[in-house]
Amino acid sequence: MDTFGHIMNGFNVALMPINLWYTFLGCFMGTIIGILPGIGPAAGIGLLIPITFGMDPTSALIMMAGIYYGAMYGGSTTSILINTPGEASSVMTALDGYQMAKNGRAGAALAVSAIASFLAGTLGIVALTLLAIPLAAIALKFGPAEYFCLMLFALAAVSSLTGKSAAKGVISTVLGLMVATIGIDLQSGQPRYTMGVPELQDGVGFLVVVVGMFAIGEVFSNLEEHIKGKAEIIRLRGRLWLTREEWRRSIMPIIRGGLIGFFKGVLPGAGATIATMLSYTVEKRISKHPEKFGTGMIEGVAGPEAANNAATCGAMVPLLTLGIPGSGATAVLMGAFIMYGIQPGPLLFEKRPDLVWGLVDSMYIGNIMLLILNLPLIGIFVRILYIPTGILLSLILAISAIGVYSINGNTLELQMALMFGVIGYIFRKIDIPLAPMVLALVLGGIMEQSFRQAMTISGADPTVFVRSGISITLLVLAVVMVLLPVVVPRLRKLKEAPEDLAA
Amino acid sequence: MLTDRIIGALMLLLAAVYLYATTQIPTLEIGDPLGPKAFPVLLGIALILAAILLLIETLKPADAPHGEAGPVDRRHLWLIAGVTLWTALYFWVFDHAGYLVATMAYLLALTGVFNRGKWLANVLTSVLFALGSYVMFVKILGVTLPAGILGF
Repeated sequence: MDTFGHIMNGFNVALMPINLWYTFLGCFMGTIIGILPGIGPAAGIGLLIPITFGMDPTSALIMMAGIYYGAMYGGSTTSILINTPGEASSVMTALDGYQMAKNGRAGAALAVSAIASFLAGTLGIVALTLLAIPLAAIALKFGPAEYFCLMLFALAAVSSLTGKSAAKGVISTVLGLMVATIGIDLQSGQPRYTMGVPELQDGVGFLVVVVGMFAIGEVFSNLEEHIKGKAEIIRLRGRLWLTREEWRRSIMPIIRGGLIGFFKGVLPGAGATIATMLSYTVEKRISKHPEKFGTGMIEGVAGPEAANNAATCGAMVPLLTLGIPGSGATAVLMGAFIMYGIQPGPLLFEKRPDLVWGLVDSMYIGNIMLLILNLPLIGIFVRILYIPTGILLSLILAISAIGVYSINGNTLELQMALMFGVIGYIFRKIDIPLAPMVLALVLGGIMEQSFRQAMTISGADPTVFVRSGISITLLVLAVVMVLLPVVVPRLRKLKEAPEDLAA
Repeated sequence: MLTDRIIGALMLLLAAVYLYATTQIPTLEIGDPLGPKAFPVLLGIALILAAILLLIETLKPADAPHGEAGPVDRRHLWLIAGVTLWTALYFWVFDHAGYLVATMAYLLALTGVFNRGKWLANVLTSVLFALGSYVMFVKILGVTLPAGILGF
């Protein structure tokens, strides 16, 4: 079957009643997870993976992806109504969205964010469909050395771009890779760093780390916020629709935001958060009234929301075609793939086109479902915000316990999840980003494997990593990514110093 | 900036411990030329380099006055430490007491602190959530949860 046939056949898979149901379920739970404080897409996917173990992998992945992009829709609701962005990628939406809500235009703000999410999301899936095919074809030519360099570049990019400090990003990455080395080494059969604990022979469970850092750690942070005081919820008023004038002002920001978002999403590390910031900056700069931004400009909601959702689709590109996720949430999604025994990457397009295209095509359908869930039905979801935070956060902790225990029925893993929760809480306090660590944990095993394969092929000659143009380019980019943020401010300082003296 | 220097120092210490543990991995000289130690050694070196990079960053002149998050409220830290201990205890008795009893007790105390004064709502939530989730996961989804002393 040719590629076009595969894409069309994907719709047959996605439109099967059982898969339609799981798309809906994923989008529905994603919307709730997006709205709930204290739980993001990464934790949501992590907590729900154990429930899906008996399911068909295609259906399970369709549902997990639905949670992922559904949570991105839901995140804007809390930004607009209580000025508390659920995820980093909704921070920009809160700037003007909350002001619109205070001005009595909450309905319009929610409507424009749902419409922008839908349009840009659909645009993003089209681009994903078009880009996936050539990229997978190129990736097939990669040997272990190139593959290793590619992972190194991805990790460097994520380290450098996710946090405030590149060095802390690298620390987070290396710690993740170190955790990945715990357990029996598959090639030599030797136990490594198990400290004689039998439960550690299979390694530290991926979900233990994810639930610990993203669910338990996040709840701890939220508990602390909660006792400081509670935000007021703005009541939904007015029609959930836009005036003609608001439409006219929103359409171009949506298109621009969608394009920015998709391309930023494809690049590792840049991701949704940076895409929303860039979109907001662009809209403010080209606006005739930049001074009004921050007072409830609809452009400032439409652009970043479009960017956010297009970036979500863009982030699926490297995950599916290269098997390399570029963010925390897609890393957890990749962990889900691996748990179902599926290795995402270029080979998957040849081996399981039904799964890949079924998943991609289900996203078109999921986007339509999300538009319905987020426009006419948003009033129902908003009620979730009225659940007392103290109760909600307590329940998330109990759900985390169920999630971790259901993997192996092991209470030691519960304690380990708690330990990673405390680590996650501390990392948030001291500004060490969590996403690089989880990403490194997912990639660690494959990375070491391709490193050793490359070295075995070359007879332990390390020049194997600089033999092809692709490898060299990727290595140089990786080094530049990490060192640039350290070097640039120093150069700037050197340049500015004489002026300081003159003044 | 002091925090960052402490982090850097701790990471150097961790790298040293990790590299020492790496030398303790037994190796048989068969199979692939690298063995199980080579990659971890690179990781240990990478962590040292990253810690040095962080220490260099702390030398960077603070261009903007850094938003030091004010004096840390110690009561918050005690509260989080309490939650951590209470959760550890919950996980400790999870198997023996069983999911139902442990979860009800855990939630009662937690909601009692963080949703203070709303006794009826807290009791109802704790009991109904424990029962509901047990039935849903064990009876419907087929997930194993410890029955303990009160399970069914």
